[in-house]
Order: sequence, then structure tokens, then C-alpha cells
Amino acid sequence: MDPLTLIPTPDTIPAPSWLFLLLDVSTFTLHILLINIVLGGSLILLFTRAGKQSAEPENKLQEGIAGKLPVIIALAINFGVAPLLFLQVIYGHLFYTSSVLMAVYWILIIPLLIVGYYGAYYYIRKKSSAPMLSRIAILLTSLILLYIGFIFVSNMTMMAQPEKWVAYFENRGGTLLNSGDPTIIPRYLHFVTASIAIGGLFLAIVWWFRKQKNAAGAEEKIKSALRIFGIATAMQVVIGFWFLLALPSEFIIQFMGQNLFFTLLLFAGIFLGIGAIVFAFLGNLTFTAAFFVATILTMVITRANLRALYLGDAFSLSSLKVAPQYGVMALFFIIFAVGIVSVVYMVRMAISANERRIAS
Amino acid sequence: MNYPIWEIPAIGGGSLIALIAILHVYIAHLAVGGGMFIWLTDRKGYRENSAEIHNYVHKHTWFFLLLTMVFGGITGVGIWFIIALIHPAATSSLIHNFVFGWAIEWVFFLGEITALLVYYYQFDHLTQKQRMQLSFLYFLFAWLSLFIINGILSFMLTPGQWLETGNFWHGFFNPSFLPSLLFRTFAAAMIAGLFGYVTTVFLKDSAFRSAMLKYSTRWLLYPLLGLIPSGIWYYFTVPSVNRVSAFSLNPETGIFASLFIVASILIFLLGIFLTMRSGVAAQRIATSALLIIGLGWMGGFEYMREIARKPFVISDYMYSTSILKSDAGKLSREGILANAKWTYVKRVTPQNPMEAGEEIFRLQCSGCHTLNGIRNDIIPQTELLSYTGMISFLFGQGKVHTYMPEFIGTEQEKDALAAYIAGGLHKNPVIMEPQPYQIQPILNTIPDYDQKKAEYILLVWNDLGMHCISDSDPWFVILPPANTLEAQIIKRGPLPQLVADNIELTYRVEPGFENPAAHTQFWDYAERIFGAKLPQNVGLHGNGLSGKFKWNPDRNSFIVETIPVMPYNDDGSFNPYPIFTVEARDSASGKLLAVTQAVTPTSTEMGCRNCHGGGWKRNGIAGVSDETATNILKIHDRLSGTNLYDLARKGQPQLCAGCHPDPALGAEGKAGQMYLSASIHGWHANYMHLKGAQACGMCHPAYASGRTRCSRGIHGEVGVTCVDCHCELADHALTLLKGQADKPGATRLMAHLTPTKAENKDQINPRSPWLNEPDCLTCHEGFQKPASNATSYNVWSKAFEDLYRIRTDNAGIRCAACHNSTHAEYPSENPFGRDRDNIQPLQYSGAPYPIGSNISCEVCHMQKMENPIHHPNFYREFRNKRTEQKTAVAANF
Repeated sequence: MDPLTLIPTPDTIPAPSWLFLLLDVSTFTLHILLINIVLGGSLILLFTRAGKQSAEPENKLQEGIAGKLPVIIALAINFGVAPLLFLQVIYGHLFYTSSVLMAVYWILIIPLLIVGYYGAYYYIRKKSSAPMLSRIAILLTSLILLYIGFIFVSNMTMMAQPEKWVAYFENRGGTLLNSGDPTIIPRYLHFVTASIAIGGLFLAIVWWFRKQKNAAGAEEKIKSALRIFGIATAMQVVIGFWFLLALPSEFIIQFMGQNLFFTLLLFAGIFLGIGAIVFAFLGNLTFTAAFFVATILTMVITRANLRALYLGDAFSLSSLKVAPQYGVMALFFIIFAVGIVSVVYMVRMAISANERRIAS
Repeated sequence: MNYPIWEIPAIGGGSLIALIAILHVYIAHLAVGGGMFIWLTDRKGYRENSAEIHNYVHKHTWFFLLLTMVFGGITGVGIWFIIALIHPAATSSLIHNFVFGWAIEWVFFLGEITALLVYYYQFDHLTQKQRMQLSFLYFLFAWLSLFIINGILSFMLTPGQWLETGNFWHGFFNPSFLPSLLFRTFAAAMIAGLFGYVTTVFLKDSAFRSAMLKYSTRWLLYPLLGLIPSGIWYYFTVPSVNRVSAFSLNPETGIFASLFIVASILIFLLGIFLTMRSGVAAQRIATSALLIIGLGWMGGFEYMREIARKPFVISDYMYSTSILKSDAGKLSREGILANAKWTYVKRVTPQNPMEAGEEIFRLQCSGCHTLNGIRNDIIPQTELLSYTGMISFLFGQGKVHTYMPEFIGTEQEKDALAAYIAGGLHKNPVIMEPQPYQIQPILNTIPDYDQKKAEYILLVWNDLGMHCISDSDPWFVILPPANTLEAQIIKRGPLPQLVADNIELTYRVEPGFENPAAHTQFWDYAERIFGAKLPQNVGLHGNGLSGKFKWNPDRNSFIVETIPVMPYNDDGSFNPYPIFTVEARDSASGKLLAVTQAVTPTSTEMGCRNCHGGGWKRNGIAGVSDETATNILKIHDRLSGTNLYDLARKGQPQLCAGCHPDPALGAEGKAGQMYLSASIHGWHANYMHLKGAQACGMCHPAYASGRTRCSRGIHGEVGVTCVDCHCELADHALTLLKGQADKPGATRLMAHLTPTKAENKDQINPRSPWLNEPDCLTCHEGFQKPASNATSYNVWSKAFEDLYRIRTDNAGIRCAACHNSTHAEYPSENPFGRDRDNIQPLQYSGAPYPIGSNISCEVCHMQKMENPIHHPNFYREFRNKRTEQKTAVAANF
């Protein structure tokens, strides 16, 4: 059976595909950063609590993230909705298919995420009164986040490889994973390691804010947090090469000069990442963050490039038919702008309230 | 078609969607109504300057946040996940048509969580103005989310103008948008009150608790004032065809409608209870009950809404099978296997019917039906049908019961699916019923007659060409054993006379048939069903298997009504043509004046089992078996909401004509019900996959290779079949249904029936069963040979007196006296012995032709006559004389 015949016919889209790709990649960037903070933060909380620190609980490095975890989860989920929506507009026919193939694992994300989310709340509420149980809760949350990450990696790679779909005819029960793929492990580790790094970076930023309010030992905490970032990102470089080399050779060639844009972007990312590591070890938060943001942008685009390589002849965005709805599109952008203004307005209320709290 | 199908036969995708969706929708409505609750309750706190209320609101918001933002938020994503797994094509359609709507909703979602988090986490540090603004903003964003989702959700039920234009706004602001939005807004407020109790019952101060309980009750009850009118408006924006389909026809709906109504009442009552003085324990129990009842209320409502758009997932656009309505025609021509992407069986071959059937099942059935699963299980729903029945079911699927789509695919695909369900799943034989049957002819003799000396001619006939008996008395009765014989006696002479005075006619059945009570349970149930205490072997008019005729001046004939003769011989054989001997005597002297014999055609070969499964009742030959009968009752109960099966099990089987009026039995039935004949033909015409006489033979004892072969007259011999007089089943049913056009069920039974010859249904002439029948003179115009293009299509006798079985010639002799009963017109060819129906013409004239034909005037007149008064075209040689070659007869006709 020719796997290409299995590819569903896509529906028409209501605006040019580049717009949805842009919306997808940009909202995904925010989403993945937030997810990285959540997972990395949970893992850091889990592992650093094991260490004995004499400081008061509020003064521990990792506690910079604890109280914020549920809020970040809420935002991470919200910012996950947008890229998942825009992805479905341009790649829906591929994504639905791969989701069905792993339906059982895929739908389990929902109840598990609910448990993991409540786990984070439980941890924050009970970390002092029930340290053991709250630790189990944050362990559970971390494991669930790791699970969800793996399933997403499996789905996003399966989606781009129709040649693997024929396995459906041997297993229609929705329990197929793309686990045999040589890139899965390095790709997944790429995500987990990034999470630890970004968790560290986030901590550094939290302590930078605290430093502005003259919190004790903030400078030292920033350095520790940056060290976490630096070490994880250094490992990330190694894992990144593993990932690169695990790719099919025809793709590697593309990233090694055959496609100039792909190559430049990837190597820019690598060098920017190395730059971020250097600044992290130097304890310079501003430059670390700047290099990091630049790295992330190159890597997110590289991810989209890799997807295009995988799909090859099977599907290209240019084949999608457009039936424009520009009026509704304009309305969306207007409401988006109003929404952002409202959010800023509300956040300012929060800041002013917070100032009153501190003042009182 | 386009996507792979996640195979979870035991659970079914629908139940998974329902599980996630109902929980989510319940909490999502709370998120909207609860937003308003928090805003207004906090404002109440400011107005009353009550720290208690502020404190309550803060705690309530924590509970609210944990429930709506975590559970509500993620189950919302969960619905998206699960519908994409179960209905990827529909999900794709919704995403691609409404992506900017969804994107706008995402912005509102972001606004919602920001407002809620800031409000809760900074509760004590916000100014009054900020708190009021934030809580209002939260409510606004939440309600706007509802606004968007409601547009898309109501679109699925009533896409309205979008179907033509494809325009976003036409789809979004669709006919049910506004009533649905109002209904959901009021529902949200009600649910807010319901969850208000949850935090209230944990308040320590009993006076404050009591005050807040009353406050929550107001939230629960005031929205009812809006819920009821908006609900009614909503209901009536659903197209009437969907309303009838979902709320009158679909047996699935009942439980959810009941759940919704009962839950509404309980919510109201418990709400009142919670305002009364009672212990905190009772309040907590009542609150817990309310939470569960509220979930039931929501579930009942959402299920009804989902069912209302069946068989579509997007009304009039995409079926629940993910097939686009616009693709159905192409797929039926080319085949679904050939067009489905995710099947490796690409066409049905003689080698792969089961495998192909299984694939078709996945594509067309598994979207809604589980396999031995928890809901809408295909197994019990198809176990009452044979393979042939399954084919019929698929043929009629979606026609009468419009909550299912019509079967989409080729004939071979339909047969393969039937083979998989009936053969593969139920292990029934995959053979097309009815199967041919070998009849053993029985010899019969002709009574002696001396043409020269005989003074009388005795003519006896059965009033109908065939009497049918279901023989299923413990379960139901269509018709009881009841053959009616009529007779006329003619005194021979140059001017023969019909005579009656001083003559006594007796009858007796041939040996072996005297004791029908030994073979049927009719007498066990006759009192229950017919209200008559009948002695064994005595029929409904008090006549037995032997006895006397009565003179009937209206008919100008001797008559014996409803003889309870059965087609079962004591020797175990089946013979649907028992012979009766009739003797005429001088009533004073007892002198035998004439003797003859006639057949009483009576058959229990009713083909219900061909589709409804089960075997034959009597020695594997005929009769409706217990299994067949119970299968029929269960289906009738399921589809018509009756409890016939239970009644029968309690010893109270019913007469079909007890509800459905039937002129054949003079039964009035129940008001509003259609004639039995209209119902039974109208219903089955929608499911009948065969055409012509084959269709008739599926149910009636007219199957050409069957056990009775009732169409045995000259018409059958020359190739005139059932449908040449009675029309094709579709037309036949339409005429009966049009005669019942004022009855509620007639329209939907007619909806999918198409006349075979008339241009449209308006041209179909209505009629009543048994009263308006085919008229011989329509084809035999002026008693002549029919023209080559003669047809009796859509022409019916006008009045009872016009029926062939009632009419007479110009001399008062009944048509049937000389030509025999319908379906056995002389010369007849009976499958149980060629001349079994021709006894009288052979006895009186030595030939099997109508009495007096071939200018055989002497049969009565004892001489040749010159003035043929009986009817035009009488005085001539019979056209269809028998030859050794039957075909020659046919050619001559």
C-alpha cells in the first residue's frame, strides 16, 4: 500500500497559509517557553528539595518558582490552545491522523493533565503542612509533564511521517507510538534539557526582580540559577548534535549546506546557544537572556523547517486552497489587540495591588 | 472516509465525547454564571458593607478557580482532543470554517484567566473599584467565550443559510443562535446558584449560612423564568423534521428527555427545600444531591441537542459517519470502499464479503454503534433480523427513522455489510430467504354428475382467493382461521332459476382437517383476543368444520362464514387447499339434489421469518414461530413505544386490528391509528428491497416457489403477476397511505416512497383496504380481451358492491360462481394437484373453463341458447384453452 494514498484531503483555509504558519510558530514559541518553565521548574523543585539547605523555605533558590507554578501552567495551557488551533488549520489532516493512531495515549493527556495541575496546586498549598505528600504531588506533576511531552513529540513526528501510518492496519486501537524512530529519544531529551535550562533562566529572572527589592542573597541565587541554565544548555549542545545525526542522512545534508537558509539558521542557533552558555557562566543575565531568545527563535524556525523536510512530497503548504474570510480575520486582530490591552490593564491592577500589599 | 477510525468497539467514541463534554459543559456554564455570581455577590458585600460576604466570596472564588480554571479549562481542551479523535473530519470542518472564531475565543479565554487570577490572588489588596472591574471583566470574558462557542455549537444543529453561502456569519448567527445563547445564559446563572450552595453549606455561622442559602436559591430559581421561554423558543427553532425524528421517533431520546424533566423538577424542589430551616447535615446532603442532579440535567439537555441533529454531525452537511451529504450519491455509485482512504479492502468480491462487510461496518456504523459495548450496541439492535432482514433494514435505513443516515454504498457493499452483521456477528446463515420448496401433489377426485339427468347445478366458492393466518396466537393475531364459503344453486331448464326455498345446504371438510384445534392455539386465546367463548373447532360465527349454510338475501347466495379451517392435516402434512364437500337437499324430504366440492384456500405461510428471523412453526413448513413472533413484537415495542411483548408474556396477546382498524375483520381499532393494511404495507414498503411479485411473495403466500403459491388462476398461467393488478408495493402502499392522509403516521411513511408509473404522489388515487380493490373490468374493458397495453394501475373499484367477489352478472349469478374466487380463476392450476381448484367446471362440463364458457349453455339451460344475456362477450369459445404446452396458452391470451 502506498502510504501517500492514506493522506486525508485537507480542507480549504480562510487566509494564506503563511499567516497561519506565522501565528502557529509565534504562539508556539510562547507556549513552549511557558511549558519549559513549568516542567523545568517542577524538576528543579523536585531535585533541589532533596538537597539540604539551611535557609528559610521562602529564601531557597527554587522557591522563586513555586508560587508562580499554577499561574504559569494556566498561561501555558492558554498559549497551547493557539498554536494547536493554527497547526490544525494548516496541518490538521496530518495531525488528526497521527492523533488517531496514538489515540489512547493522546486522550490520556487530558485526565493526567488535570491531575498534574491539581498536583501543582497541592504542592504550593501543602508544601509546609504536608511536605511528604506535597513532594509526591510535585513528583506526580513532573512525571505527568514528562509523559505529555513524550506523547507530543511522538505525535508531532508521526504526523510528518505518513510512511509510518500503515502500521494502523495492524493496530487500530490507538496505541501506536512513534517510539521506534531513532530521533525520538534525542528530540525528547532536547525538550527536557531545554526545560531544565529555561527553568533555571526563569529562576534567575525571578531573583533579578527580587534583587531590585533588595532580597537577601539574590545575586548569588541569580548566579546559581544561571549555572543551572549553563550546564543544561551545554548538555543541550551535545544532545542537539545527537538529534541532528539521528536524522535521515538526506535531511542532515540539507542542514549541512545543501539548503543555505536551513543551514545558516541552525548554525546561528548553535552559536547563539553557545553564546548564551558563556554569558550564563559569566553570570550576565541580560546577555544570557538576549542570546537565549535569539536561539529560541532560530530553533523554532528550524523545527518548522525540519517538519517541511519530513513531509517532502507528501504535503506542502502551497497546495492548500484558500477561501478567504478577511473580514473575520480583521475582527480577530482587533479583538486580539483589545484583549492584549485588557490583559495589560489587569496586570497593572495586579502590580498596583501588589505594591499596596508590600506597602502594608 | 478521509481518516483512520480509532477502534474502541466496547466503549464507542460517542460515549467518550459525552463523558468529557457533559462534565465540561456543566463546569463551563458554572464558569459563566459563577462569574456573574462572584461579581454581584461581591457588590452585595460592598453594598451591605459585609466583611462576611467578602470573605465568603474570596473562599468561593478559590473553589471556583480550582474547578473552572483547572477542571473546566482542561476538559474544554479535552473536548477538542476527543472530537478530533472520534470525528476528525467534522472537527477539521469546524476548525477550518471557524478558525478566527476559535481564535477570538482564545483571546477571551486569556482575558478570563488573567481576570480571575488577578482577582483571586490580589483579592484583599485591590480597591473596591478594581475588584468590581475585575469581577465584571471576568464575567464578560466568560460570557463572550460562551457567545463564540454557542455560535459554533448551534451552527452544528441549524447551519441555516451557511449551507448555501458558506459564509462565516451565516453559519455563526444561525437560526438557533439566539435562543440557544439565552437558554445557556440562564442555565449558567442557575448552575451558579447550584454551586453557590456548595460553598455556602460549609459556612460556620448558621444565620449567615441560612441567609446565603436563600441567596443561592434565588440564583437557582429566578433563571427558571427565562429558561422556560428560551427553552421553548430554542425547541421550535429546530427544524420540524429533526424534532419529529428526535423526539417522536428515536427511542434513544426518551431516557434523556425524562432525565431532563425529572432533574428540572428535583432542582426546583431541592432549591425550595434549602431555603427552609433544616440541619446542616440535611443541607449538605441536599447540596450533594443537587450537584449530581444538575449534572444529570445538563447531560439530559446536551444529549437531546446532540440527538436532535441526527443523522448528521453538522446538520444537512456532514453525516455522523463523517460522509458529506453531497458525496453520498457518488459514493453509492462508486462504492465507499473504493473511495475510503483508510481501508485495505477496496471492493467486495465473492471471496471477501465478511472482510469487506467488517470494513464497511467500521466506516458506516462504528461512529455511533458499539460492538457488545456500553451504548447503542449493534448486537441487540440487529439480533432480531435474519440476513435477508438485514438487507431490508439497510435498504430502508434512514427513510422512516430519519435519525439514521441512509446506507451509502453499492448493492454489493450493502449485502456485504448484511453478511457481516447477520453472519459474522450473529452467526445466522447467509442465505437469501425465502428458499424454494418442493410441493408433493395430492390426488383429488371429481364428484359424479349426470349432465342429462341432473336437475340442479350447485356452485360453491371461497369468498377470497386466499385466506392468511399468522398462527401466532400466544403472541399476536393478524387474522384468525376464518374461511367463508358461498354457494348458489341453479335449477336447470331452458329458463334456469336461482333457487333457495326449501333447500338445505350442508358442508363438511375432507378427512384429516376436522380437528384444527389439535394443531393451533387459536381456541386457547380466542376469548382473550376476540371476546368470544368458542367451543373447540368452532369459528367466530359459530360454524365448525361441518354444518349448514345460511341463505343471505343481500348476497343472493347461501353462505357459511368464518369456518376455522387450518392448512394442517392430522397426518402432519401441510395443505393450504382443503376440499369441502357441499350437498344440497330438499329440506322437507331430505332428498339429495346436488353435490359438489370446493377448495377453502387457507395458508399459514406468512413470510415474516424471512426477515424477522426464526424458523417455521409447523414442522418447518409454515406458521409464524414463537421466535419470529417475539422478534416482531420486540421491534414493534422499540419503535412504536408499545409493550406488546410484555403483554403477550403475561398471557394477553393482542389482535393487530385491536389498534389498527381493519375492514377485513370489521375492527375499528384505536383512534388516530392507520388501517392495518396501510400501516403494514406502508412500513414495509420502505424496507422492501425486492421488486414486483417477488416483493409480495416475501410476506404473502404468493412466492412462486413457495409452500402455497396462491396465485394459481389463469392470470398466473398467462404471466399476469400480483403487481399487474395490485401495483408495485410502493404504489400499493401509497394508495393505502393516501387513504389515511389525515392520520399522523401516513406522511412520514409516504415520504420516501416513489410511484413507479404515476408522475408524482399527487396522482395516486387513495383507497381503503378490502373496500377499493382492482377492478377486472379495468383491463377487461367491456368484458373483452385486454388490450396489449391494458393496465389497472392506480384504478380501484369504487364501492363495496363493485368488488368482484360481490358482483353478479345480468341474471343475478355471482361472478365468482362461474369464474371461481380471485387468484384461482378458471382454468386454475393448483400446485397441490392441477385441477384441485377446477372441480366444479370439470364436474359439470368436463373442462376446466368458466361455467358456461365455450358456448356450453346446456350446463344450466340444458340446450344451446342464442341470446347471451349474462354479460357482453359471453357467447364464444374460451380464449385460453389448455394445451399440453402451457406457453401456447400464454401466447394466445
